[in-house]
Amino acid sequence: MSEESAKQNSPEEKAETENKAAAPPKADAEKAPAAKPAASTAKPAEAPPPREPGEFGKSLEQAGIAVTHLGKDAMGIEAIALSTHDLLKGAEHLRDKCAFDLLVSCSSVDFKTHRQSVYHLYSINQNKTLAVKVDAETRDGKDYSPSVYPIWPACDWHERESYDLMGIHYEGHPNLQRILMPVDWLGHPLRKDYTVDDPRLVWNER
Amino acid sequence: MSTSTQTPAFPEIPGVLTEQGLSTNDLVVNIGPQHPSTHGVLRLITTLNGEVVKDMEPVIGYLHRSKEKMGETRSYFQYQPTIDRVEYLSSFYDHYAYVTAIEKISNLIVPRRVEYIRMITMELNRITSHLLWFGTFLMDLGATSPLFYAFREREAIIKLFEDVTGARMMYNYYRFGGVNADLPVGWINQCLKVVNDLPKAFDEYEAIVTQNPIVLDRTIGVGKLTKEDCLKYGVTGPTLRSTGVSLDLRKTNPYSVYSEVDFDVPLGTHGDVYDRYMIRVQEMRESVKIIQQALKQIPGGDTANVAQKEKEIAEATRLAKEQGLDPTNIPKMDPDWLIQGQKVNLMVFKPAAGEAMSLLESPRGFLGCYLISDGSPKALRVKWRGASFSNLSILPHLMIGNMYPDLMPIFGSLDVILPEVDR
Repeated sequence: MSEESAKQNSPEEKAETENKAAAPPKADAEKAPAAKPAASTAKPAEAPPPREPGEFGKSLEQAGIAVTHLGKDAMGIEAIALSTHDLLKGAEHLRDKCAFDLLVSCSSVDFKTHRQSVYHLYSINQNKTLAVKVDAETRDGKDYSPSVYPIWPACDWHERESYDLMGIHYEGHPNLQRILMPVDWLGHPLRKDYTVDDPRLVWNER
Repeated sequence: MSTSTQTPAFPEIPGVLTEQGLSTNDLVVNIGPQHPSTHGVLRLITTLNGEVVKDMEPVIGYLHRSKEKMGETRSYFQYQPTIDRVEYLSSFYDHYAYVTAIEKISNLIVPRRVEYIRMITMELNRITSHLLWFGTFLMDLGATSPLFYAFREREAIIKLFEDVTGARMMYNYYRFGGVNADLPVGWINQCLKVVNDLPKAFDEYEAIVTQNPIVLDRTIGVGKLTKEDCLKYGVTGPTLRSTGVSLDLRKTNPYSVYSEVDFDVPLGTHGDVYDRYMIRVQEMRESVKIIQQALKQIPGGDTANVAQKEKEIAEATRLAKEQGLDPTNIPKMDPDWLIQGQKVNLMVFKPAAGEAMSLLESPRGFLGCYLISDGSPKALRVKWRGASFSNLSILPHLMIGNMYPDLMPIFGSLDVILPEVDR
């Protein structure tokens, strides 16, 4: 088993090691730009095929809520996307009809073109997890997304963290303040444009 | 600097008259950030009316080390050693969450021996984590000797970890599709010896603590929670199970090889501090059961066996080559016995594009690692969902209206680790 897999891998590895041996500084420089187009071409290719609607996506559709089915993630967790307009309606349906009673986490992702909140929900009765993704709306250079606080109060600190680190304003959150960074911190450090040479860090590192 | 010469007067706070006609005010007490009972760096802005807590606001973020940003700026392999610092008392769990997320995204094969090694180390880690909680929790209540008892057993387990990983706390042992090194020769017997002695030690603790009148007075009926409270704040783990909700991801959504071992999920009934204490003690006993079964079931058994088999295969291959025999007849290594499923070149490792949320049951509750890969050598996003983060958010709800001296038993019973809160 190990011998076989080693054999399969060996030609690629050899090529890599040869590349490195030939021009170690160049190899890295070439690799980085080479990796980026590959990723960017892979993404649009992945989007077109329509994903199969999952159990909870179907349930939402039947209730007349517009859903984008995103298939399953690598762990087999169903993922759906809702618009900011439909989020609260969808969340209420998920809590009342699909028994998602535990909000596990609220993550925020910066895709450079837009920012997204990802809610992971858990149902104690069904032992199932669901990911609900919401793209934030951009108005006057700021990102806005409705807060699910009325449905799951457990999102309180999680949404505060997303606001603090990613700058998504959750509308309807009762206490949207910074939670991990100091109150007078400048900028939102988890954004992709916030790098180590950011001028705002000069003020922050006082 | 300022041109105004008037110094601001202290604001006059209107007092409230007591029955005796004395003026009284609420007192604002800052607990922390440096305070021995906060188990880390936590500040609690507490408003007291006499000894009753009127309001409490936790201030966190003092230990924020931007672990999530680090995950985006380093390659997958470079990030691995820093994961230990996310939650230093049970860092095997953080590693497992991270490593499984990547394994699932890129479809890496994980041999069963590896899964067993991971399960054994994780369960041992649950015991060390609960033991440290046991010692410090009782120290918060004023009992100093249980800490020494707990550390005696913890030390024995940590020595086992040191033999396997080379480190006492920051293990960095799991790899993508395998583990760093196989168990040392004879480790399984040594581990079995340590683990078989543990229930006796737990009996000893329980003899001191479980029926101790001071402990009973300070824990029974204190910090009561219901299922609804827990769900409202996203509380999981032993705290949720103390309210009678049977939610243990090892049972409900089995990961690793937990479906192959037999164990119970201890549940409480009242949801108070005492129930949380009892659940953790019983969980340690269940962990012992899991480890005992796993040590018997581990594919390949002791490492000496595996080494012997490897030697035989090498010898047979050499002979076959010498005599020019058919290579198909050479015995092969059982794939379950390996410690690395697929060879991964870590320096240039790029998982496929995709995402995974790996949820598992850490000693404190749900631990999640949400990982998005865009196919480049660095992750697009690494999000840690620590159980302590949500578990801490319920503290004001538990404390408001309660006596100030109950803060330490209640806060201690939540088993919050501040580095996991702040990440």
